Amino acid sequence: MTDKVIDENLAVSLQGVRKCYGTKVAVENLTLELKRGELFAFLGPNGAGKTTTIKMIVGLLQPNRGEVRVCGHHVGSNGLAAKAKLAYVPDQPFLYEKLTGREFLYFVAEMYNLTKTQRDERIARLMERLDFSEYIDQLTENYSHGMKQKVVLAAAMLHEPTVLVIDEPMVGLDPRSIRTVKDLFVERTRAGGSVFMSTHTLDIAEAVADRIGIIHRGKLVAVGTLDELKSQAQKDHSLEEIFLGLTESADEC
Amino acid sequence: MSVEAPSERRPLIGLLLRVKARSLSNRAKKAMDEAPIRLSITVLLVGFIWFALYFMFKIVFRSFERTPLEATVALPLIFNFFFMAMLAMLTFSNAIIAYGALFGKNESAYLLTSPLTPLDVVTLKYIESLVMASWALVLLGLPLMVSMARLVDHSNRILFFCLYIAFFLAFIPIPGALGLFIAWLAARAFPRRATRAVSVLVGVAILVLVIWGMRSLQTADDAMEAWLRNFQARMRFLRAAFLPNYWVASGIDHAIRHQFFEAFMYLGVTIANACFLSWAVVRFVARYFDGALDRAMVGRGDGIRYVPASGWGVAGWLFFYLPKSLRTIATKDLRVFMRDPLQWSQLAILFGLLFLYLSNMPTLRIQLSGAGWRLMMPFMNLCAVSLILATFTCRFVFPLISLEGRKLWLIGLLPMKRSRVLWAKFAFAMTITLAVAMSAMTMSLIVLKMNLFWSITHIVVIASICFGLCGISVGLGARLPMYDELNAARIANGLGGTTNLLASIAMVAVVLTGVGIATWQSRHLSFFDTPEPSSIVLCFFSVLTSAIVGLVALRLGGDHFAKAEV
Repeated sequence: MTDKVIDENLAVSLQGVRKCYGTKVAVENLTLELKRGELFAFLGPNGAGKTTTIKMIVGLLQPNRGEVRVCGHHVGSNGLAAKAKLAYVPDQPFLYEKLTGREFLYFVAEMYNLTKTQRDERIARLMERLDFSEYIDQLTENYSHGMKQKVVLAAAMLHEPTVLVIDEPMVGLDPRSIRTVKDLFVERTRAGGSVFMSTHTLDIAEAVADRIGIIHRGKLVAVGTLDELKSQAQKDHSLEEIFLGLTESADEC
Repeated sequence: MSVEAPSERRPLIGLLLRVKARSLSNRAKKAMDEAPIRLSITVLLVGFIWFALYFMFKIVFRSFERTPLEATVALPLIFNFFFMAMLAMLTFSNAIIAYGALFGKNESAYLLTSPLTPLDVVTLKYIESLVMASWALVLLGLPLMVSMARLVDHSNRILFFCLYIAFFLAFIPIPGALGLFIAWLAARAFPRRATRAVSVLVGVAILVLVIWGMRSLQTADDAMEAWLRNFQARMRFLRAAFLPNYWVASGIDHAIRHQFFEAFMYLGVTIANACFLSWAVVRFVARYFDGALDRAMVGRGDGIRYVPASGWGVAGWLFFYLPKSLRTIATKDLRVFMRDPLQWSQLAILFGLLFLYLSNMPTLRIQLSGAGWRLMMPFMNLCAVSLILATFTCRFVFPLISLEGRKLWLIGLLPMKRSRVLWAKFAFAMTITLAVAMSAMTMSLIVLKMNLFWSITHIVVIASICFGLCGISVGLGARLPMYDELNAARIANGLGGTTNLLASIAMVAVVLTGVGIATWQSRHLSFFDTPEPSSIVLCFFSVLTSAIVGLVALRLGGDHFAKAEV
């Protein structure tokens, strides 16, 4: 597979992607593009194919058909270059339980080759923003789900990635932290980064997303800005009603 | 200013190993801070068993010292058998652990989305599975080494120790690399049921080997000399020069005989092969890792549907004697157990081997004409069954409580005392071990036409050993749990699991010593004779010992479990 940069302006590109689990088609003919500086919210019912799509973007799953590129780099054939541009926060946050939060962040910083000054400055800033400085020197095994989520988010943002891919970012977070995380995402996109976020929290998608995609039974049933979705659904209502309407009509088809 | 990870290959294995070392030191520090008594008891128990093994091996080597000619013939054969068995067992355990570490954990997925290359991840997991699968072998191999040193001159002992340890360390990567390759192959070829496939494949291989071994022990000629010659001839393949067990066995044998040049030569061969195999397998698996991981993840996503009724029916019948609340827990445990191929296939292999051995007893050309042998053979079978039961309870029963760790919130809310959960686990383990052990012993006793008193005694003794072993494993499982670990094999291989194994073997040794002495005293009895009162008293106390040990362990575990906070 060639790895020439196709479009400098594209952060993530999925072209005609199909992924099957045995006989079950999880994602079917998915074509989706995420521009630089864009915050994209990916919505869909349980089992719709959101996590499968995300795993293909970050290179954990390989599509049966089609191709996935991150910042122009083919994920399958040039994974290391693609991974260098992105950070991933899975739905089940992974942490080494016998490390403290700080030790884990140091580990991530060293993986991404940050200098000591960069590392210390960014950790201090992120911990303050996430109101987490008090707990950073405890073993992560003692953290609640929300606390783990904060550390994993901080780890993902530590090297200021070009593309941030997040599966359910707000689960377990308190309202203040949700607000902080939303602000961080918006700041990231203003600085030229892109955020690809899968979520069930529709009002967050409504509030911060530049564009929204809705996937249902593996197929992209709608994509666009909130206004475009409203016109597509022919309803001037909340995202929740549009989401329910689009997924119901897809069921009927 | 964004700092992108370098897209060039940058080896980060050193960083990963440092993180693991840090993790380990934090774990040790926490254990010392929070449970110093528990840690001290564990260390003491390990020390105790270490010395027990040392003295046992010392007796064996003392007899070799007295009979140097026999030692010359027997030692290389014993080492060859030992390292061949180790090769098979370590390959199996490395395959299981490597599969879990590479394809079953969030860590691999997390690391693969970072700037690490698959080579870094596979190398890390290879080293991890080597350590996890082999540390107990090294620990238990040391008393063998120290006791063997008596066959070596004082002046050469330091060199012998160094060589011996070097042979162990050089040998371990070979089954490690084979296990890693099998794990990768299983993920590629059988993504949906990889663990079952690995278990079945290894199980079939072991059974074929054992059937072949049993046939090797048989010969039409009853004469011991002819039998030995035939046996040696059939076992010749073990001494094939291309097998790792041959290099290590020959090297240690040469070291004992002070032929250090030859010993170093074999060490060089072992190290060279271990390095090459590790390098080739790790590179190969890393090269094709993405595809295997994809297949393993896709396999997990394609859900298997289960029919609920049948398992419940069998379980209900099996645990008919339990009150409903305990029966519900035991039934749940049985269902979970039967749906985990890693668990039931190992059990099937373990007991399949036992029954194969017992069913082949009549075909062995061992002279059983003497009354003493007729009594000692069933006793040796009792020893074999007991030791297999000890292994079984450590591997399968000990992790039961730890595996409930993440569900303790549910157990805590059940309308029953927590101690009853412990009793349910005990009843579950006891029912299965008792059924298998009683069948095995009855089979052995019928085949060997043993004295009536001793037949009944052996049945009672094995039942009491089942009680003691299940009590120890459930009790220590609750006393030394690993609630944050989801892998039963890792729980059994941990410090608590090893303590449990050592305690179980110690109990079996004590009980069997009593029964052994009583058996020896009665070696001249015929079928209906009653033994001396002293023999009966010895057996009674042996049975009592296992019952008391089981109850005390359950009590200790119960108290701790009642207060457990997760």
